[in-house]
Amino acid sequence: MIFTSPIGLLALLAIPAIVAIHLFRRRFPPRTIAGLFLWQMLRQTPEGGGRLSRLPITASLILECLAALALALILAGARLSPAAVSPHLVVLLDDSASMAAVNARGERARDRAVRRVLQEIDRLGTGARVTIVVSGERPSVLLGPAALSIEARSALDTWKPAAPDHPLALGVRLARELAGRTGRLMVVSDLAPALRGQPELEGALWVSVGEPLANVGIVGAERSLSPAEGRGTISLTLANDSASPARRRLDVSAGGAAVLTRDVDAPPGLSSFTIAIPPQLPPARVTLSDDPLQRDNEVILAEPRPRIVGIENRLKDGRGRQALAKAIDAVTGVTQAASGQLAFVEAAELDRQAAPGTWRVAFGRPPAPWRANGEPRDFIGPFVLEKRHPLLLGITLGGVVWSGASPLAPGTVRPIASAGDQPLIGMSAVPGASPDPAVIVNLDLDRTNLIRSPDWPILVSNVVEMRRQALPGPDRWNYRIGEWVRVRLGRDPKGPLRLRCGAIERTLPAGRQLEFIAPSPGGLLQILEGDELLFELGVNFLDAREADLRRQATADLGALADAPGLRAESGPASDPLFWILLVLGGTALAANWLVLSPRRTAA
Amino acid sequence: MPTPSIDWPAVRAAAFRLTLPRTPIGGRVGERLGSGTGSSLEFQDYRSYAPGDDLRHVDWAAYARSELLAVRLYREEVAPRVDLVIDCSRSMAVTDEKLRAHGEVTALLACACASTAADSRMITTASRQPEPLLRAEDVERALACDAARSALEGGHLPLRRRSLRVVVSDFLFPHDPEALLPRLARDGASLAIVQLTLRDEAEPAAEGGRRLIDAEGGGELDLVMDPAAVREYRARFDRLRAGLSTAARRAGARFVHVTAGRPVRDVARALAAAGVLEAA
Repeated sequence: MIFTSPIGLLALLAIPAIVAIHLFRRRFPPRTIAGLFLWQMLRQTPEGGGRLSRLPITASLILECLAALALALILAGARLSPAAVSPHLVVLLDDSASMAAVNARGERARDRAVRRVLQEIDRLGTGARVTIVVSGERPSVLLGPAALSIEARSALDTWKPAAPDHPLALGVRLARELAGRTGRLMVVSDLAPALRGQPELEGALWVSVGEPLANVGIVGAERSLSPAEGRGTISLTLANDSASPARRRLDVSAGGAAVLTRDVDAPPGLSSFTIAIPPQLPPARVTLSDDPLQRDNEVILAEPRPRIVGIENRLKDGRGRQALAKAIDAVTGVTQAASGQLAFVEAAELDRQAAPGTWRVAFGRPPAPWRANGEPRDFIGPFVLEKRHPLLLGITLGGVVWSGASPLAPGTVRPIASAGDQPLIGMSAVPGASPDPAVIVNLDLDRTNLIRSPDWPILVSNVVEMRRQALPGPDRWNYRIGEWVRVRLGRDPKGPLRLRCGAIERTLPAGRQLEFIAPSPGGLLQILEGDELLFELGVNFLDAREADLRRQATADLGALADAPGLRAESGPASDPLFWILLVLGGTALAANWLVLSPRRTAA
Repeated sequence: MPTPSIDWPAVRAAAFRLTLPRTPIGGRVGERLGSGTGSSLEFQDYRSYAPGDDLRHVDWAAYARSELLAVRLYREEVAPRVDLVIDCSRSMAVTDEKLRAHGEVTALLACACASTAADSRMITTASRQPEPLLRAEDVERALACDAARSALEGGHLPLRRRSLRVVVSDFLFPHDPEALLPRLARDGASLAIVQLTLRDEAEPAAEGGRRLIDAEGGGELDLVMDPAAVREYRARFDRLRAGLSTAARRAGARFVHVTAGRPVRDVARALAAAGVLEAA
């Protein structure tokens, strides 16, 4: 007899405990009777056995000892035959899309990988245990841990590599954890280890099953709309990863209808071109004709709905107003409005309430409550800028003479640009003021040279873009897989929010702003509020590294570690002794219960 | 609350009634000769005429002979009073078999009361008013054996004077039969004691170690029921039964010991043999 967990034999201590209980505390089956007084005058059995009293060998004692023995042997893992040791193979499969590249014989790298894995499993024998891990930004277990080898083929059939380029480090770490000290690690990829971020891989076999291939893929795609011109455009960047020019057929369809078909020439390397398409089309599907890698031959592009910012110019006539009008003309996606989302006003108006939803940009001398004692001053620098603030992106204020900066009362402005302790540009921080933000530009526009500097149009553009970003809608309309998608609702949702992208459908947390990662494998992404479609976005592969199939190689690196293997604890059914002990212990317990059962003894 | 299921057809098929004593008995107007004067046809005595007496009862022949007005007195006819004392303690339901036998014996006696056309009552406890036994089935109300002690262990039982008394119990409680039975027989017309026990209570087997739990008091006793202990118990039980029998004889009562598990007809025959019942 072999014990797989000899420490379980400690449970045998239960037997002397049972004997002691019977010796010092006899436990008789209860029996209800009518006339106890007739028995009471008889010789009574003492509750505690004396040192010299003989242990009554009762059926209960025998059954309890038998049950304890059986259970102790089960705990100790008693076996009639030694437990078999099975080799444990842990396979990490590279899930990147390039594994789906088809060679001239119509064979994919994935097929070669599957064949190689099955060969390795066959070589280890039918008793082998297999764990299959699929790499990715978040590696997952495809089979196992330590599943039977016969399950490997069906699991591998479900594997469809499609992920963008990613390092295998996380997958290797998970596979190593699953392998432990008993498993052998095998990594199957189409690249050499260094190209997958694993320059060194000790104690593992790296199998590269790739094959260098020429490929043309879409690695960049944008769709834009020019309302003024009444046309839409699609800009594509193709990567021809070969030494010779290639010609491909390009199809554009939208809403199931073909929009255009044309042949495009792709010289070696990157090339870009733009296609004009009609405006107001539903999401357009752009496909290239077949080549080794299908994954990079198709994109879906949603037409952006530009967020137009309505602008009011309420500055008084003068140089400043003219300079502002000129700068606004240079900004796209804006419109002049009587009541817009962004108002350029005189700072003296700041003590008046703004219309809801209107952000104000105030120039000049602020109203009295905002001012501190002192006269306006001019500054030539140095200026302290909060560079990370979106309002000051790209602004240097080099050579600018900042004129007419009034001293401001403490706490009225949160400065983002200042000269010494004098705030020049800031956000309103007056308590109880309008809930919409106000930007204070503490500047006399008629005297400063800022309006003639390159910083002026940038400042105006930054203000407009800051307001645009706060308008409802997505930041962008087309994304790569894995990018953060940010959508501003601008109101509380009226129903449950959902995301649908191909076969993926999941609920989004309710909020005025949605943030999530563009899901793989991509496609048309819909955001729904209840049953109402809010936005349609495009999520595309667009991975230049995966599209480049010239680095693929076939080689074996390293070797499978000589791991001790997994002790094949194939469950209690593997040894008949377990069942014998289980039946014996269970029967003894049941019989003991029957012996001590009050119902039976009372009968 | 344990109550027995009674096989009423089998009980009624036994067709017995209570055995009445030869001495006159008291009771309401009925069919049985009473101890007082009444309106039956059985002559009892003469007495001097008093104004208001029924002239139809004047013995005119005696007047002719003696010139004294005398009226004939006749025996009264009564319905006998029966007090059925039922032990409803938990010991009577210590097993299903005993509870069933208890129900059958009590039902048998209730049927006998009904056949006797007696004014019957059921007494289950000293603290509660007796319940009338108008129909034999009424006895089922008194068979919830959940009392912590027997009615016989309590104080004064509400027994009626000159009533026929029938007591059903296992008498497995500490008592002195020489005191208990005279108390039950006092001022009564007759007394019948029916002791009902299990065979196992009369003749227990040597079962080895057991924790004995009293059905009523809840007391416990760990005991090895070996042959010697069983022998000693049997001797005690026999002495208890013999004491009851002797005390019953002294009190002029009838005593019968019934073992649970016997057919109803056999039980009825045993009660008849002891003079408690007679064929209807």
